[in-house]
Amino acid sequence: MSTISVNGLTVRHRRTVALDGVDLDFGPGVHGLLGPNGAGKTSLIRVLATVARPTGGRVELLGHALSGHRELSAARRRLGYLPQDFGYYPGFTVREFVGYVAWLKAMPGDIAGAAVERAVARVGLADRIDSKMRTLSGGMVRRAGIAQAIVNEPDVLLLDEPTAGLDPEQRVEFRSLLVELGHRTTVIVSTHLVEDVAVACTEVTLLASGRVAYRGTPASLATLGESDAGADLGGNPVERGYTAALRGHRAAVATTTGARR
Amino acid sequence: MKREQVGPGGPAWHVDEAMSRRYADGSLPEPDAWSLEKHVEACGRCASAVSAAVRATGTAGPLLEDVRGALLRTVAEEAPGEGAGATERKRGAGARRSPLRPSAGRRGVAVRPASASLPGRLARTVWAAGPALRGAWGVALLVVCAGAVALAYGAGFLAARSVFFALAPVLPLAGVALSYGPYADPMYEISAAAPSGGLRLLLIRTTAVLGVSLPLLTAVGALLPAPPGVPGAAAWLLPGLALTVGTLALGSCTGCRTAGALVAAGWAFAVLLPAAAHAPNGAPTPAVLAEQLGRCVSGSAAQSGWAAAALCCAGLLALRRRAFDFAPDHGPGSYLNRLENS
Repeated sequence: MSTISVNGLTVRHRRTVALDGVDLDFGPGVHGLLGPNGAGKTSLIRVLATVARPTGGRVELLGHALSGHRELSAARRRLGYLPQDFGYYPGFTVREFVGYVAWLKAMPGDIAGAAVERAVARVGLADRIDSKMRTLSGGMVRRAGIAQAIVNEPDVLLLDEPTAGLDPEQRVEFRSLLVELGHRTTVIVSTHLVEDVAVACTEVTLLASGRVAYRGTPASLATLGESDAGADLGGNPVERGYTAALRGHRAAVATTTGARR
Repeated sequence: MKREQVGPGGPAWHVDEAMSRRYADGSLPEPDAWSLEKHVEACGRCASAVSAAVRATGTAGPLLEDVRGALLRTVAEEAPGEGAGATERKRGAGARRSPLRPSAGRRGVAVRPASASLPGRLARTVWAAGPALRGAWGVALLVVCAGAVALAYGAGFLAARSVFFALAPVLPLAGVALSYGPYADPMYEISAAAPSGGLRLLLIRTTAVLGVSLPLLTAVGALLPAPPGVPGAAAWLLPGLALTVGTLALGSCTGCRTAGALVAAGWAFAVLLPAAAHAPNGAPTPAVLAEQLGRCVSGSAAQSGWAAAALCCAGLLALRRRAFDFAPDHGPGSYLNRLENS
């Protein structure tokens, strides 16, 4: 059963095409979103987070098309979003920051307090819950960001580069949190770190220049890396698979374009 | 009696039937009861035998079920972020597993989690509006008010009231422009993905800005010495409101920051330009400024005009309310362009 379904999604920023007729669907589990810079990962996540309006195509979240204000509000209650570059009020404590998002998510006041403490504990910040945001280190701010994204126990969780700024130990803890969340939540993680995908993700989507270049599992990507296409590439199997899939996609696009001319 | 001895191979004794019966009815001597309790922590077989004996007494069983039912209800009610359906399912499960207390599940459904009281909700809303009042705008507001009073009384600057009134209607606009939107609000991107973001958040923050600035500016205006011809302290209220609602309506097309700047420029154009034109050497004197301000805001005709303008802008805003559903994705330097270029 898919909780997110995207058909012919096109996103254009002035003259740049960020996403070019993308068809995708996602169900519960952890989905890795890979791709080079400018591939359209952030654009896809912003559309799924209902922040950006798609230029064309159809987006269904949790069984409803995002057609009107009512559908948007219903979907927004049930999703969590960690932007790539998120801001905060430096004078807020972690509790206030996450509590403010709980208010934004229209959570009832009587359960919000406990939900905030639970979310902060899950990212391992319980001992700093009453510290001001401006006193936190970069990794802690990012963990507070993850806490705000899961405070409403979302059905759809969108994380844009969540592991940037985390040290290796925190990344390991974060991946196990991802695996745990993926049991009932549709988690989409955009990342540059191939090892995040290899460890935590059940499925992989590779974007290149606004198109879907590859879909599969971390295992199938690793197999691709061990085949002839990836034989001469360095790195671990998943990294080789990533590069092989990207090259294969570019070659296919070049052939199609050439044939059209 | 046997004593607890846990060797490497496990405990050297087990609870027999007579012992668990005596434990259940309370006739087992206290040291033996302690030994038994210690033992059942580690031995599953004896634990279930003792548990069965305790349930069979007929007094502890219902008590345990009561505690269990209450615990399950509390868990179901406090589970954060669960939809009503999920909560109901949990309660159903609790009821199924409690055959001794068939009413537990039904009672659980009847006890709805009490929604937050009205004062509580109001307090949360006011707190959410807070970020609008924390920043540069709050400081600017206080500086203008204090500066106007200090100039008027300390330096005997008679024009203070005119200048203050020329500025007062624009100050709430600055508050609105500085409190909402991708440029002004660091948490804008997160709020744009939330049901309470968008127009609702903008209106809450605008209300907070007006709630602080209207009383404060009116009070300061009334404190300033009033030379003849300058409008009364409350005369700016309707123009200030109309300009603020106008900013919101225009903001649905241009974003609040640009809208605030445009409306403020429009106000300055309407007040200062004619005043400068009337002045002999290009610099408007306080008297000319006061006269022009009077033309703009004094009298029932001007005031009804401002009231009508406020209503029109409110209507426009209602028509354009869906423009705030998504983040603006156009224009140079928009949030996304900044991201993609970084």
